[in-house]
Amino acid sequence: MTPAMRILSILFVLGALLWALVPADALAQGAPGFQAGAPPGNTLGATSDAEFWRQVRQGRLGMVSIPDPYAAVLVRSEGDNWRALRNGPISYYGGWLLIVALLSILGFFLWRGRIKIEGGRSGREIPRFTLTERLIHWYVACVFILLAISGMVLLFGKYVLMPVVGKAAFGHIANACLQGHNLFGPMFIFGIVAMFLVYVRDNTLNGVDWNWIKRGGVLAKGHVSSEKNNFGEKVWFWMAVGGGLVLSTTGLAMEFPWIPTIIQVQWANLLHATAAIGLVAVALGHIYIGTLGMEGALEGMTRGTVDENWAMEHHDLWAKQVMDDLNVSDGRRLPPEPAAGGPGGGSKDGAPQGAPAE
Amino acid sequence: MTVHTRPEKPSAEAAVQAFLGQIDASIASYLETCVHCGECAEACHFYEVTKDPRYTPTWKLQPMVRAYKRHLAPFSGLKRALGLAPSEVTLDELEEWSELVYDACTMCARCTVVCPMGIDIATAIRRMREGMVAAGVAPEGLHEASDRALNTGSPLGLTLRVLQKQIADQEKETGIPVPVDVKGADYLVILSAMELIGFPEVIGALSRIFKQANVSWTFSSAAFEATNVGVQIGSKEIATSLLGRVVDAAEALEVKYLISPECGHAYGALKWEGPNMMGRNYEFEVIHILELLEELRLEGRLRIGGKDSRRLAFHDPCQIVRRGGVVAEPRNLMAAVAANQVVTAHAGINNYCCGGGGGVSSNHRAEELRFKAFAVKKRQLEEAGGVDALVTACANCRNVLEEAIDEYEMDLPVLSLTELLAEYLEPEGGAG
Amino acid sequence: MTFLEWTEGPLWYGASAIFVVGAAWRLFGILRLGRRVELSRPRASAASGALAAIVRHALPRGEYVERTWYHVVAGYLFHLGLFALLLFAAPHVAFIHDRLLGVGWTPLPRWAFIVVAELAFAGLILLWVRRICDPVMRQISDRDDHLGTWLTFIAMLTGCLALQETSPVLRGIHMLCVEVWMVYFPFSRLMHAFTWVLSRGFMGANYGRRGVSP
Ligand code: SF4
Ligand code: SF4
Repeated sequence: MTPAMRILSILFVLGALLWALVPADALAQGAPGFQAGAPPGNTLGATSDAEFWRQVRQGRLGMVSIPDPYAAVLVRSEGDNWRALRNGPISYYGGWLLIVALLSILGFFLWRGRIKIEGGRSGREIPRFTLTERLIHWYVACVFILLAISGMVLLFGKYVLMPVVGKAAFGHIANACLQGHNLFGPMFIFGIVAMFLVYVRDNTLNGVDWNWIKRGGVLAKGHVSSEKNNFGEKVWFWMAVGGGLVLSTTGLAMEFPWIPTIIQVQWANLLHATAAIGLVAVALGHIYIGTLGMEGALEGMTRGTVDENWAMEHHDLWAKQVMDDLNVSDGRRLPPEPAAGGPGGGSKDGAPQGAPAE
Repeated sequence: MTVHTRPEKPSAEAAVQAFLGQIDASIASYLETCVHCGECAEACHFYEVTKDPRYTPTWKLQPMVRAYKRHLAPFSGLKRALGLAPSEVTLDELEEWSELVYDACTMCARCTVVCPMGIDIATAIRRMREGMVAAGVAPEGLHEASDRALNTGSPLGLTLRVLQKQIADQEKETGIPVPVDVKGADYLVILSAMELIGFPEVIGALSRIFKQANVSWTFSSAAFEATNVGVQIGSKEIATSLLGRVVDAAEALEVKYLISPECGHAYGALKWEGPNMMGRNYEFEVIHILELLEELRLEGRLRIGGKDSRRLAFHDPCQIVRRGGVVAEPRNLMAAVAANQVVTAHAGINNYCCGGGGGVSSNHRAEELRFKAFAVKKRQLEEAGGVDALVTACANCRNVLEEAIDEYEMDLPVLSLTELLAEYLEPEGGAG
Repeated sequence: MTFLEWTEGPLWYGASAIFVVGAAWRLFGILRLGRRVELSRPRASAASGALAAIVRHALPRGEYVERTWYHVVAGYLFHLGLFALLLFAAPHVAFIHDRLLGVGWTPLPRWAFIVVAELAFAGLILLWVRRICDPVMRQISDRDDHLGTWLTFIAMLTGCLALQETSPVLRGIHMLCVEVWMVYFPFSRLMHAFTWVLSRGFMGANYGRRGVSP
């Protein structure tokens, strides 16, 4: 687990750096040329109100008799900017991103249909995910779905739900979702750490992945050679881990808002929403391809085993390895040579059991 | 007149009726409470060697659970009316379950130890077999054995002549006369069919031990067979009829004790199930041979003169230890006779079954599975660093283990604890 | 009547009645089947065997821990968490005080409530995910297992969603979900909450009189 631990620590350092780099006043517009304590503009009415409000808006510090200097700011613009970003581009483009994701899935379905096991089922199964891997996957999946739903309500509910159910009802819903989101958040952190530790072994990138990219991955006709996880799956893993790290750190900042500065909390919120939308969008694709989109994929994560033909078509290098191991221990016969190594991925030749190797 | 135990026409209804007749409050609580956690699978040797989820102990009860929930459970009427009750059990299912209930369960009760709800699967399987017999889906091998037992008095068809021959041989061997039909003796000895045919040396061993300990004992020519195939196939009728012969013989000879021999299910049948089946308690007491030997040893009447130096491990027969309650005795006796005893992991009430109890060894179609199941015993022994010989106190275990050891091409003798003790008796007249 | 008044009034009384009467009837229905008199001579006491089994089967067995630790950990997280929430959540203590017993006790502080709730949810989720991905549990689970888990989950979840205690509607929803759960309870495997005493007890008595405590 040493490489794993190394990667984990690098990620943590990166996360910490990212955090430290957030300047305390990054969102505040500088307000040059004003001295603390001096009244802005000509309060006797010589200057326009616009000038007055612009100065207020720029975080002009007034005078207060209590020690908290922030109390001397009439309008803290950072908050307003944060709100503008969150309710503006993030909600807007984020919402569109999710719609685009759904549409692409639909498009992919119309184009490829349910991806069948081309050689049909062989009736022989090989183990794919261990019970530990499956348990962690589903634990994270359950918590992620709960968080995703409650989070989406918090982010988009105002635009999508409120017009439908009305303000009062939405108030209750949002209240509930906030409580639920805060409750399940910490459970997610444990899940994502466990997931990283258990899955990282099969998700390190290497030359096989480069080949997979060059050949067009899922978009390729036929099947491209791959290990236990193909490049797309590995990227999903690293997105989940990276996104999980961002979500966890920023989530904690929001759950304990008295520890970071207010500006950091605002940043945390924006990062959190952005990372979450990204992950949800990819998760939609992941869920689709793992269930409806591909015959024979889901059982690897439920029963833990997959059909030999499925394995050979989608993860030939790994499948061959597993079958060789089984062959040694169980006396099972050798699997056929994979044909996916040939140009263009001649899966038709490779799929049926016992077909002669090219 | 020859008896045939297999019902003429297979019938699912008969099974359902019999299931329901078997369910009392305790069985109902077992069927009700199972939370489907699956822990029990990990305890069952049949699941462990096959990893086939159908061999999960609680799943083996499924048809009986359904019959119960459909017809007998609280609210079953309401659920039937609403169409929420489980469907009626079919003959096809019962035939499918015949394998699970007879081939893949030795009624060893190891699953009960691990069950968080304390569900007694073994007892429930015993009850369920009554329904399987009524339905006509019990395996052929057990019906054949039952027919032979009812017609000849022994599931292997062993007659009095066989006993007489074995007694004569052993008398010649030991030079000690073997008492037969002695009225008023203290102890009546009966044997399991397997001992009678395969391990007759036990007769000689008993004569030597009883001579040293000065025990008054006898065989009966009217009943000498302890094996009760009725409790294995799961038929109270057959079991009671076989048991009745032994009880009658013991009471006719007016003995004080009946010795339950080195045979697992015989002990349960004689000691625990017996009085309930007969509807009365006996005029004598049932004592297991290990209990008697330990008693004699403690009284100083059984004197061990030396110790075996081989690496010996004791295989706990499920029906005698885990389900019989004779737990400390074999351990003390082993300690008295074995200088290099190997205590395997899980020894005692957690021990793995030999794989052939509960009628599995008389059921030919289960043979392959039974040999597979031996893999867990093999592993258990290997993990203990290997042994020179296994010692046990059940002739059926002994036979099953020997067959499996052959199958695995291992070299491992299996001994009887009684015989082992007899070998190390203090020499006559010797003081030390 | 408001929604909350409904759920804390008539619906609450109705559900409670079904829960109590149903569970009692179910237990009675099992016990009514009776046990035959044991005629064999016991080697030891059946009663102490029953007690021993009731205690011992609550504890993991050393020999099997390697295989069973998952259920032990998740099972205890969930069950202990659930009981802690049931008895010590501040609104529950108030409810018990005002509506049921007339006595109250010190509730959990809010932070402790949250920690306990998270552990309980984690336990329940872990138990359920094993049900969907362990071949043995997949084989033996039925509709009732899933429905029972889900209803329990929803009852707990709605409770936590009402955590801020500012919304009567959320409180009402929690009440309603709990009432559905209570009505489902006597007809389902959730009854194991009571029947475990019977199964462990009967088994323990059976073996106890034989002088062994498996
Ligand atoms: S009694 Fe023994 S053989 Fe039967 S199911 Fe239980 S563990 Fe398996
Ligand atoms: S261990 Fe007990 S409660 Fe769990 S599935 Fe097996 S019989 Fe049922």
